[in-house]
Amino acid sequence: MTRLICPFCGPRHLREFEFHKTVAAEGGSAFARVYERVDSAELSIEHWQHVGGCRGWLLVRRNPSTGAVTDCQLVGGGEPA
Amino acid sequence: MSAPTRRGSRVREETVRFTFDGREYLGQRGDTAASALLAAGVRRFGRSVKYRRLRGVLTASAEEPNALLTVGRTPAVIPNVVAPQLEIVEGLELRSQNRWPSLDLDVASLLQAGGGFFGAGFYYKTFIWPSWRTYESMIRSLAGLGEAPRASELGEVAVEHLHCDVLVAGAGPAGLAAARAAARAGARVVLCERDPACGGELEFETGRIDGREARDWVGSVLAELKSLGVRVLTGTTLVAASGGEMIAHAEPGGLPGRNTMHKIVPRTLVVAMGAVERPIAFTANDLPGVMLLGAAERYLACYGARAAASAVIFANHDRAYPAALRLADGGIRIAALVDTRAEPEIGVPAARDALRLAGVRCLAAHAVLAAHGGRQVSGATIAPLADPARPMTIACDAILVSGGWSPALHAGVQEGGQREFDPLAGGFVARAQPEWRFVAGAANGALELGAVLVDAHAAGERAARRAGASGSAGRAPAGEGDAAPGWRPFWRSPAPRADEKRQFIDWQNDVTVADIRQSLAEGFRDIEHLKRYTALGFGGDQGRLGGLLGAAVLAELRGEPLAEVGTSRLRPPFHPVTMRSLAGLRAGAALRPARCTPLHAWHESHGAVLESMGLWMRPRYYRANGVDSFAAGIAEARRVRESGGIADGSTLGKIEVAGPEAAAFLDAMYLTRASTIKPGRAKYMVNLREDGLVLDDGLVLRVADDRFIATTSSGHGLHMLSHFEHYRDAEWGGRGVTLTDVTEAWAAIVVAGPRSRDALGAVLGAPWQVPLAALRHMDFARGSYAGHDLTVLRASFSGELAFELHCRPAIALALWEALIAAGLPPYGLEALDILRVEKGYLTTAEINGQTTPYDLGMESLVKLGNPCVGRELLGREAFHEPSRPRLVGLRAADGRGRFLAGAQLVVPDAPSRPLGHVTSTVYSPALGEWIGLALVARSHAADGTPLLARDPVRDGDVTVRVVPTVHFDPSAERMKA
Repeated sequence: MTRLICPFCGPRHLREFEFHKTVAAEGGSAFARVYERVDSAELSIEHWQHVGGCRGWLLVRRNPSTGAVTDCQLVGGGEPA
Repeated sequence: MSAPTRRGSRVREETVRFTFDGREYLGQRGDTAASALLAAGVRRFGRSVKYRRLRGVLTASAEEPNALLTVGRTPAVIPNVVAPQLEIVEGLELRSQNRWPSLDLDVASLLQAGGGFFGAGFYYKTFIWPSWRTYESMIRSLAGLGEAPRASELGEVAVEHLHCDVLVAGAGPAGLAAARAAARAGARVVLCERDPACGGELEFETGRIDGREARDWVGSVLAELKSLGVRVLTGTTLVAASGGEMIAHAEPGGLPGRNTMHKIVPRTLVVAMGAVERPIAFTANDLPGVMLLGAAERYLACYGARAAASAVIFANHDRAYPAALRLADGGIRIAALVDTRAEPEIGVPAARDALRLAGVRCLAAHAVLAAHGGRQVSGATIAPLADPARPMTIACDAILVSGGWSPALHAGVQEGGQREFDPLAGGFVARAQPEWRFVAGAANGALELGAVLVDAHAAGERAARRAGASGSAGRAPAGEGDAAPGWRPFWRSPAPRADEKRQFIDWQNDVTVADIRQSLAEGFRDIEHLKRYTALGFGGDQGRLGGLLGAAVLAELRGEPLAEVGTSRLRPPFHPVTMRSLAGLRAGAALRPARCTPLHAWHESHGAVLESMGLWMRPRYYRANGVDSFAAGIAEARRVRESGGIADGSTLGKIEVAGPEAAAFLDAMYLTRASTIKPGRAKYMVNLREDGLVLDDGLVLRVADDRFIATTSSGHGLHMLSHFEHYRDAEWGGRGVTLTDVTEAWAAIVVAGPRSRDALGAVLGAPWQVPLAALRHMDFARGSYAGHDLTVLRASFSGELAFELHCRPAIALALWEALIAAGLPPYGLEALDILRVEKGYLTTAEINGQTTPYDLGMESLVKLGNPCVGRELLGREAFHEPSRPRLVGLRAADGRGRFLAGAQLVVPDAPSRPLGHVTSTVYSPALGEWIGLALVARSHAADGTPLLARDPVRDGDVTVRVVPTVHFDPSAERMKA
């Protein structure tokens, strides 16, 4: 994985992005949101910020075993204006 | 010294002078250090790293384990330069390594002679009494490869980013065929080749492709690639290929200095890096004069350099026969060709007959048992495999060995996919590759020219298709060259157990069969454990020469098939890369750019000692105020309390939060409410992390109903901006709030001290008199100074009557100098720290990412009940246990002792059980003693509790007592003045 396709900026090199955290599935208690994360060899759900670009926050789904990014969208689920 | 001009595909007639170990040699332009020295009759190139054994050159490639040279003179030496890659230039100074005082007389090797060889793990097992440290410096002085440079004259590094459809690594027959197929199909192709020339083994092997000489075919393909717009990078090694980004490293001339890092992002990769010829283990197979057969061929064909006068060839495949004929043609007498295979397995009767006609002894089912000679090979001991006890000795000055080829997957196949032993190819080949990667040619186990070309052409076409190209790749080239090798497994010659310690597997790390046997005996059975125990494959070749050989010997000793033992994991980099190249452009000032405030130049020209805080540079103290930071800090702090001073606060982070939802948004970000702040007022606010720990604190200014400036601590500005943005986008719905980093839009000058209001009034002039007089603590007023925006905030981080001036950078210097002229001298961080510890204010020493609002005494803020990030998790039981720390003040029990931040707090009864630690201490000029802040268990946080501040490695232990956090002016009368 060396590129993310930013919904605003298109395919950009990973060095423009900053990893924030892995996140749990939607919903759950405050405790769950902070401490219970998806921890699987096939799926990692992560928050990244495009700090070297539009500063958008991205929700990235990827396969840690292969490095393949399966999905990259804005965290709030919105569309780029 | 004058030798006849040599002819070869790479050398020209022009003479080049250079020195090796102080002696002058003549080479030809195009020569490598290895070829020129070999041609001059040099056989000994250095000593081995552990046993200090004399070594010659083994290979003609970057895999070379022995002929590593030092270039230049102390201190600006470049060590471990690979002789077969180093192109000689006029005046080059070369030295052999790992010897003292000279190559032929080495003291350390004499030490070894008495006690025999040190096996794997010897140092760790032997030097344990009384401790390793007793011996470490002596051992380290003997250890290491070459001499580390003490000064560097390495030049600039270029970094080039490339994007293409297909990257082809390797420009031998396979790489050329694959690149051409991909380019013809319409793909944008980059081809990289680590050698200075393309063609690979076609440089010396004979063959025909599409009806013409193979060498002519190479030229025509290169011309076609050029016309198709293919970028060909020679002298450029693919060193890593993972994560979709390929790193190719160019080191022109084989010498660090003008390197280029190519960062290539291709859609698909074709790995056509060929196969690496490997040795066979026999006794004393590291003696100078033992060389790989293919290396001798390359030295002859490319450089016209004869590696020997008379050679014994030792192999287990058919390729040795045409090679022997070519070498004999080139003037090397072949004393014998020793083939481990039985007569019926030999598939090249014609070549064999031709050799016999030429008088070469061809011995089937024989093996070289040992190399003979003192300082270099003088003969070979050879015996029939059926009866090794009846050996004969044949005189020769070289043993040219070839044990087969290991596909070179080390650079291209590092991530994903599998490898599998291919008994026909005699090596591990790639299987189940990721869809973006294709392996072709000898790297894929194809070893016959026709098969290589068909395989590579197809791979190039598939790679282009996968990358989106749709054109026709045309017909695959038809080639005819040396026959398939008919390789049969043969890894090491029979030897008595005592000789196994001289059957070398890995030359660079002195790993022998005996080491593998010992590793196994001590339980390190796995190939990965073997690697770590013996250092097999740790060298510059990353195990390409000896890795498979070692695995085969391990398989033999374990009594298991090689396919099950496997080889160790392939790791980047493929070939050593200088640190300078890895740093690339991120070196010097570009590594860590400094953020400078608008007053930076003034600070520098007025004797400020600067300190970095994150990327910011801030004045620590001014030299005029004292001999060191301690004296100057005290002087500056005292002056602030007595009359006043100014400080550069521009590094404070400032985030503008605006929009209809700004107030509600900030309510959610802070422990207390921003929505209750009135315009024109500021408020001290605290942020929590999601997990309830305190993240940061700062003042929030309400500029208008829908506009705020949130200040952060200096190191935290960018992080807090990200934190705000994350919450807004991920939780808040992203609407109604804009967030703008205005840190650098506003310079900030702190004006503190009893005289601050008067001095400020004098500087700002008539329009500011009324607003200044009206400002209460935490009020701010907006206006202008010299035609630019100015905000004056009355707030204090020193406990004095104080103001923060937020002004445009354009007027910062004028304002600063006017304040100094009005009698307020500057103070730095040392004084600032003294003033804030006296007042019990917090910095990152207390807000350290481990403390809750309760720990820091912020219960009153928590009680206000604002729902915000992190609040839900504040209720966790663990946050309320008696062992949780509590922020307290500390003073020495005797009022004189010095105690320092970092000291552990204990009670005398239990001196080994820390109850907390001292976070900050200063010498307080206002109080005349050392004071501090600390985090200590709640059970021991009551006022007056005696504690011991333990500090065994600095000042020793000091008895202290707990006091309130506010050491000075507890009723804050000075601030309210």
